[in-house]
Amino acid sequence: MKILKVINEINSNISLRFYAVFYRNFRVWLRFYKPSIIGDILEPLLFLAALGLGIGKFIHNINGTPYLLYIIPGIISSSSMYAASFEGTFGSYTRMTTKGIFDAILVTPVSIEEIVAGEVLWSAVKAFMSGLAVLLISLIFFRPYISVFILLIPIIIILNGLLFASLSLFITSFAPSYDFFSYYFTVAISTMFLFSGVFYPVSALPVIIRYIVYIMPLYYTVQITRALFLGRLDLLPLLMDLLIIIIFSLIFFYLSVYFIKKRMIS
Amino acid sequence: MNDYAISVENLTKFYNDFSALNNISFKIKRGDFFGIIGPNGAGKTTILKILYSVVIPSAGSIDMLGLSPTNDAKKIKSRLGVVPQDDNLDEDLSVFENLIIYSMYFGINKKESFRRASELLDFFSIAEKKNSKVVNLSGGYRRRLLIARALINSPDIIILDEPTIGLDPEYRLNIWNKLKLLNKSGITILMSTHYMDEAEKLFRNVILLNHGEIVLNGSMDYILNKNNNDNIDGASDNTAYKKEDAYNNKRLKSLEEIFMDIVKK
Repeated sequence: MKILKVINEINSNISLRFYAVFYRNFRVWLRFYKPSIIGDILEPLLFLAALGLGIGKFIHNINGTPYLLYIIPGIISSSSMYAASFEGTFGSYTRMTTKGIFDAILVTPVSIEEIVAGEVLWSAVKAFMSGLAVLLISLIFFRPYISVFILLIPIIIILNGLLFASLSLFITSFAPSYDFFSYYFTVAISTMFLFSGVFYPVSALPVIIRYIVYIMPLYYTVQITRALFLGRLDLLPLLMDLLIIIIFSLIFFYLSVYFIKKRMIS
Repeated sequence: MNDYAISVENLTKFYNDFSALNNISFKIKRGDFFGIIGPNGAGKTTILKILYSVVIPSAGSIDMLGLSPTNDAKKIKSRLGVVPQDDNLDEDLSVFENLIIYSMYFGINKKESFRRASELLDFFSIAEKKNSKVVNLSGGYRRRLLIARALINSPDIIILDEPTIGLDPEYRLNIWNKLKLLNKSGITILMSTHYMDEAEKLFRNVILLNHGEIVLNGSMDYILNKNNNDNIDGASDNTAYKKEDAYNNKRLKSLEEIFMDIVKK
């Protein structure tokens, strides 16, 4: 099988050296981390306040859960999705093209595979910081209502980060210019934000739309995060959701390596 | 271990239908200062990019330090320093950080990388800019940092693609002197240039490229002699010809004139 051969080759070109690629980005971020962290906290807070308090005034609960509590796990998932997506598109694209960072690394023993792995990890870590910020804020305000299973949520956030980082790198791999990303954000990211069950149960949607939702990766993250947040665990479906997230991540990771390699080495 | 740092045989590169390189063969001895000259678009950069593994050749074979780029790209790259034509220093980092982060790509440990970085900053006289942001450096400083960065892994070979382009005469001279010193210390240098005076001063062996083909290949002395033999009074029995005298009397053709003669044909 050709696909297996390609995957094998990619795997064989990844060593721990990819950490250097990650570290470079982290080092640069350290220079400007304050505004970055404030943004991570502020944006989800705005959503929580506007929707949770505003709409929550009219919708008292969804399936017995107060509205604000209902949307917190959704906002955790979506804000980590946004963080990974911005970094994996605008950030990585800039490093790949205008800043020439990839070109500079490519003449060292670091492989394309390791560059992509380092970039994906960095975007995932940004997603993690963003999702964790919302989780910590909700802990401060709503501790009595939250299940002990939230301790597992950080793992889900990082997995969600890896998923959207890989997807974004895949988009970046064939993006001709920055303008291209506005399509991606409108068509893919905003659609997922609005339809993946962040604000209301997907079961409220017409059947046809529901089937479209099932191909949206964010839906699965929201499902797991909400279950852990509220402590309503149904093990088998949760493991299925988890598996789907991991499969999505792997597919997009290999695709992005494949296409970025094609783009960088002619 | 053979005597050659790089040997290239029948190298060919097509971009779609366009033939960028056509059956190129040459050998570079260890410790050589080897030059590639030729007009714009002759294929100089393509050869260099193939050697540092970011362009895949359409045909031909390459041996670098006894290794093949197709199988051992990582091993080769760890012993290679590359100064690309387009300055791709990391503008988000300081001068010193540029070297330290770059050394991480080679897996050099922290202590060693600090030592080497400081040494290189001294060698290139940029130590006083250690903590400056790269964005604030002048062209001459940037170029020296770019070369310093290529040396962070103590390479056996350095490849430089037009490293003095756009520099004022003082910086150019400064870089020439550094390159000569590096070459003296045993590093094999492969470099391309547009400037014929530069080529004449630096290169021991040279290939002249035109339309993706080698049109002249040999030692600098040989090329200058051969192309002047017919023109110089009594040059045939003058092996140890006196260059400066000849220039003064306008009897010798310079490399530039030889180049123009060939390229124009």
